[in-house]
Amino acid sequence: MYRYSPIKFISLAGVALVMALLCGLFSGASDIPLSKIWGVFSLKALDIDHQILQLIRLPRVLLAALAGACLASCGAVMQGLFRNPLADPSLIGVSSGASVGASCVIFFGGASVIGSGIGLPAITVGAFVGGLLATSIVYRLATSVTGTSVATMLLAGIAITALSGAITSLFSFFADNEMLRRISLWQMGNLDGADWPRALSMGLVAIPLILVLPREGQALNAMLLGESEARHLGVDVETMKRRLILLTALGVGVAVAVSGVVAFVGLIVPHLVRLIIGPDHRYLIPGSAILGAVLLLLADTAARTLMSPAELPTGVITALLGAPFFVGLLLQQRMRMVG
Amino acid sequence: MLESRQLSLSIAGFKLLQGVDLQVRPGEVTAIIGPNGAGKTSLMRLLCGEIKPSSGEVIFGGLSLDQWQPKQLARMLGVLPQDSALNFPFTAGEVVMMGRIPHATGLAKDIEIVDAALALVGGSYLDKRPYTQMSGGEKQRVQLARVLAQIWEPDARGDRVLILDEPTSAFDLAHQQLSLDIVKSFVRQGVGVLLVVHDLNLAASCADQLVMLSCGRLVAQGAPEHVLSVDLIERVFNVTASIGVHPRTGSPMVIV
Repeated sequence: MYRYSPIKFISLAGVALVMALLCGLFSGASDIPLSKIWGVFSLKALDIDHQILQLIRLPRVLLAALAGACLASCGAVMQGLFRNPLADPSLIGVSSGASVGASCVIFFGGASVIGSGIGLPAITVGAFVGGLLATSIVYRLATSVTGTSVATMLLAGIAITALSGAITSLFSFFADNEMLRRISLWQMGNLDGADWPRALSMGLVAIPLILVLPREGQALNAMLLGESEARHLGVDVETMKRRLILLTALGVGVAVAVSGVVAFVGLIVPHLVRLIIGPDHRYLIPGSAILGAVLLLLADTAARTLMSPAELPTGVITALLGAPFFVGLLLQQRMRMVG
Repeated sequence: MLESRQLSLSIAGFKLLQGVDLQVRPGEVTAIIGPNGAGKTSLMRLLCGEIKPSSGEVIFGGLSLDQWQPKQLARMLGVLPQDSALNFPFTAGEVVMMGRIPHATGLAKDIEIVDAALALVGGSYLDKRPYTQMSGGEKQRVQLARVLAQIWEPDARGDRVLILDEPTSAFDLAHQQLSLDIVKSFVRQGVGVLLVVHDLNLAASCADQLVMLSCGRLVAQGAPEHVLSVDLIERVFNVTASIGVHPRTGSPMVIV
């Protein structure tokens, strides 16, 4: 099996990230020449182009990059923790719990809240609380005196996801047209509410997370051997599981809160990176973070520009691009194994 | 030295082990034998700290098992499980390298040990191959190399112990012989080895001490020629056997 050198891959992905950032900054409904790039850094916005860059595009590209990095690195950690290459942050109920929280705010808040300035922050907080609640329920269900059972946690996650789905459907059923549209837009995953407060809160969570998670790489590698094997290698398995479940719930919860349910990034990116550089978590986690940022940035840029001035939901693009790509990779891998 | 004192384990009211006293001495092979369900695996899991006893205790190097720092313990106590559920495409070299996780000896040294351990189990050719595409025997050898790399060198804090659960189950005759020779070479370095095996002849040929379990109790303990008697085998396994002598090594042989 051919593998690409991790260092080379991470540097290439880093270059791609810079290019994707520039591409995101300079494409959109209004044409801005590349020469205005310094306006991003100037303290005083000189003209309308600079204002667009500073107040609209920069927070948006940063939010996309940070949310993508956060989702992808949390996905890589989850797959290691559950020893399952198909695990996904949504498995432990974060995404669906967040959906309930958000639709609850939309439903009970009604037009008065949604239309006003506190609408988006309120939905964000609702999503975050919902996600954290769902995760803690799943975690409690799976934890007994003998420790946290990963298998029970997966099953509990499926149950909570089904329950949350039903509750969200109930909200949609009784919602009026405007609410219904809001709920489904949010569920499709959308970055159109990007502003500095959101980008900053995402950054406050994502950046420490991306720096801390790779340190658990070695222990996660040992976890892939099996839980007792990891314990025999001196890994404090229970504490590590608790810490990582909390960290990923926080990361995914905040990402979902600010950007809606963006499908596929947490699943597909770590999988892709593993195919390229192998399963070593010390490189897999940072590699996934960078590639996740690139992917979500490009998807979001496409969402903004394809039908400009209208915008498509970002989550729709990630799923539309991601699913066939993923299938192609699987087919290629199968061919290589046969041949 | 690894020893158990009056070790008992009950789960949901079932007494799986009762009052087991046993010692795994440095430089010796101790083999746990007994019929299915006698408590061999439970005893092994208690001895390596995977589960906690209902009463009694496990002493390692003079300290109770849970008084050890997990990392320090891992440098001295290696455990090879019967089969491993690894289903990610790590290469053999990467899997063996995981045996060096508890150590901080530097990458150059680790690579040296990993290469030597792979060579020892006859698996150098597997180095760059993904684990998921290996045969059962190859996987077992890579796992053995990983555990050997974990306790490769003497530790200043005390004697090393190796616990092996059915280490030869996936091996053909040649690799069975090879793995037992490897175990013996570690024993000569002063490592205490605990084997869990089904095959009585295998146990008799390589163990200095046999520990026979039956229904959660220790029923016999001592040198193979003392433990393996027609009487005891009849009582514990419900099988009438003859005891012979291995023509070359002189160790007892159970013939059914």
